[in-house]
Amino acid sequence: MQIYLPIAEVSVNIFLILGMGGGIGFLSGLFGVGGGFLMTPLLIFIGIPPAVAVGTEANQIVASSISGVLAHFKRGNVDIKMGVMLLIGGVIGSTFGVWLFTFLKTLGQIDLVIKLSYVIFLGVIGSVMFIESVNAMRQSKKAAPPKHKGHNILHGLPFKMRFRRSKLYISAILPVTVGVVVGILSAIMGVGGGFVMVPAMIYLLGMPTAVVVGTSLFQIIFVTANVTVLQSVNNYAVDIMLALLLLIGGVIGAQFGAKAGAKLKGEQLRVLLAMMVLGVCIKIGLDLTLTPDDVYALGTTEGH
Amino acid sequence: MSQIVRILALLPVLAALFAASPAYTKGLEVDLSKPDVRLDVSFEGADLLLFGAKDHQGDIIVVVRGPNKDTSIRLKERLAGIWVSTDEVVFEGAPTFYALASSRPVDQLLPADVLLREKIGTDRLGLAVKSAPKDADAATLKNFKDGLIRNMVAQNLYTGDSGIIELIGQHLFRTDLWFPANVHVGGYVIDTYLISDGQIMTHDTTQLAVHKVGIEAEIFSFAHEHALIYGLLAILIAVVSGWTANAVFKKRG
Repeated sequence: MQIYLPIAEVSVNIFLILGMGGGIGFLSGLFGVGGGFLMTPLLIFIGIPPAVAVGTEANQIVASSISGVLAHFKRGNVDIKMGVMLLIGGVIGSTFGVWLFTFLKTLGQIDLVIKLSYVIFLGVIGSVMFIESVNAMRQSKKAAPPKHKGHNILHGLPFKMRFRRSKLYISAILPVTVGVVVGILSAIMGVGGGFVMVPAMIYLLGMPTAVVVGTSLFQIIFVTANVTVLQSVNNYAVDIMLALLLLIGGVIGAQFGAKAGAKLKGEQLRVLLAMMVLGVCIKIGLDLTLTPDDVYALGTTEGH
Repeated sequence: MSQIVRILALLPVLAALFAASPAYTKGLEVDLSKPDVRLDVSFEGADLLLFGAKDHQGDIIVVVRGPNKDTSIRLKERLAGIWVSTDEVVFEGAPTFYALASSRPVDQLLPADVLLREKIGTDRLGLAVKSAPKDADAATLKNFKDGLIRNMVAQNLYTGDSGIIELIGQHLFRTDLWFPANVHVGGYVIDTYLISDGQIMTHDTTQLAVHKVGIEAEIFSFAHEHALIYGLLAILIAVVSGWTANAVFKKRG
């Protein structure tokens, strides 16, 4: 069954879109990632104009994140205090990121910079996480002892705060800094940043994996809601009909994802996320190195 | 008094008759099976029948052009094993849609200079360069132009090979026009030529509107006229549906 989309101006299959929303929603509930880094290329692949894909998928992520965060909230897996700190950093970071994006554009080759940083970034994060979680899975077979992180320089920073849900007593500077860095990245790469935020919370802040997922979803709601409004006002790029189809699938998928996540151990969750991150890394790497079908491609007159 | 009113009321009809009659004296009449292409919820592309009558012996060429738009085309090159977008050329006002149909191959019907002048055929679009790299020569620009046409053909927006016009007897002709689901909205122009002995005997221009109707049109105009409210509404829908899904699943346990 086909439906013609008013903003995207293409005809798409309803069930394909529902299925895509469901799949990405599942991953969102499971890992605490928005799924934008998967959904955007998928939407572009089925013929949605890139600008509409970015704007609309942000709107859908608002829905699946809310659906997921409520499911996690019930289990006490959302650290709102930590989420707010990350968000403060995120707002600063994304504002700076937009400025940096404009600056890099004047230098030219912004696309290449983005893609190369993706490959390097995802490659490193994915590999480290994969190795770490596989090791953790091996060890956990013999009654895993709770890991205590050694004290280091980071613990000497001022403005210490207690994050009860995360069982942490750390300087507020740390989550704000993580928020800033992820904010810069998401402004440049045009994604919510969940797949960068989640590993950063696990490895840099030392939060328990279960709390990371819920807290990440919490802050993603605000980031993507902001993107939705900005895209509507500046680019008229949110297709409400497409968003509606995506989020019907998305909110249901997110519920199943959160349920499935509760059955998995932290290290199992991490190894799956690592594989997904590596998969995206390889995909972008191939895009850069494989010969395209046609070396001439239509550009947009508006720019990226 | 009432008679004058009656005559005045008839004036537009008379005007229409006079306007139509020169087309007839040209010996060519063209019409479409539908006056417009309507993009509604179930739009999957549209088939339109173009039909007409001519009073001369001769062949027919039909050219359909969509609204013009500045179109950029980028070249990718391999640098150190990585494909990088390098040069960009912007063509001014390239048609967003171009379809050609004829009763015989066009190069058998008209001399090359006339085809070029009338912009008949995708390789004779007469695209003007708006911006290009400083060192671009004619051959480079031709490659970009060919690249643009290849990309548009791949999207079914340009017809690669020309369609067929059926001649029925001496006076009638018909052809099917296909508009894919990714057509741009706007004013389309359909030019019909009557050709005889390598010359254009006469020529007709028909306008065709491609526009959104119903909910498609309403959503589109709302998104453009009340962008902020539209964005907030989109978020509201997201919040409500996220909440609803959670509530439904909570009940089920």
